[in-house]
Amino acid sequence: MTRPNIQMDDEVREMTEEEYEALLATGWTWGEPDETPTAD
Amino acid sequence: MAIKTFTTGEVLTAADTNTYLANSGLVYVTSATIGTAVSSVTVSNCFSATYDHYRIIISGGVASTQNNLGLQLSGITGSVYNQLGYYQLWGSSTRFDYAGTSTNVIACDCSATAYIADVELKNPFASLRKFGNTMSQSTNNQYSMPFYINSTTSATGFTLTTGSGTLTGGTIIVYGYRKA
Repeated sequence: MTRPNIQMDDEVREMTEEEYEALLATGWTWGEPDETPTAD
Repeated sequence: MAIKTFTTGEVLTAADTNTYLANSGLVYVTSATIGTAVSSVTVSNCFSATYDHYRIIISGGVASTQNNLGLQLSGITGSVYNQLGYYQLWGSSTRFDYAGTSTNVIACDCSATAYIADVELKNPFASLRKFGNTMSQSTNNQYSMPFYINSTTSATGFTLTTGSGTLTGGTIIVYGYRKA
């Protein structure tokens, strides 16, 4: 998957490139797939 | 409808029953089922003049990674979301304080195993400043964080956005508080 999905009410679709760039600009990352029980 | 007191032997009519079902204290407004691998979910047209105050329950899903789920009201952008409180790891006596101003409030700490959030939201639709409280628990920790949104803009919906990673599954249910 190159971009995450976005949901508007019941409609789910892949983000557009522009939406994904805007999301990345907020500091969003994919994160680590494993989970470490620490506070964030 | 005002609270009615029934007396012994009185007939409970269909009209009374239906009225009380429709006017219970916490009234279902709408819900959304969270899709697969979504980084944001928008619930639109859930706030109106019908109710002043709301409760939003987020539960049943999992996250691809531990993250803070942000809540932003529709049409209210900018750093007007003030929040403070604390969070604490299960099994730890150490409490971490939090205080911040951002473009959203932390609605939930999401984990890859399980999480739940209970968001109290006051006056989202009214042209008044908004207040509320988020209480969330995940398999990692618990959050308790009141908030104040410094805006009088009327909002009709909200968007949840992950701080990192995505969400899969679970539901978002919106309830309104009956006024009278």
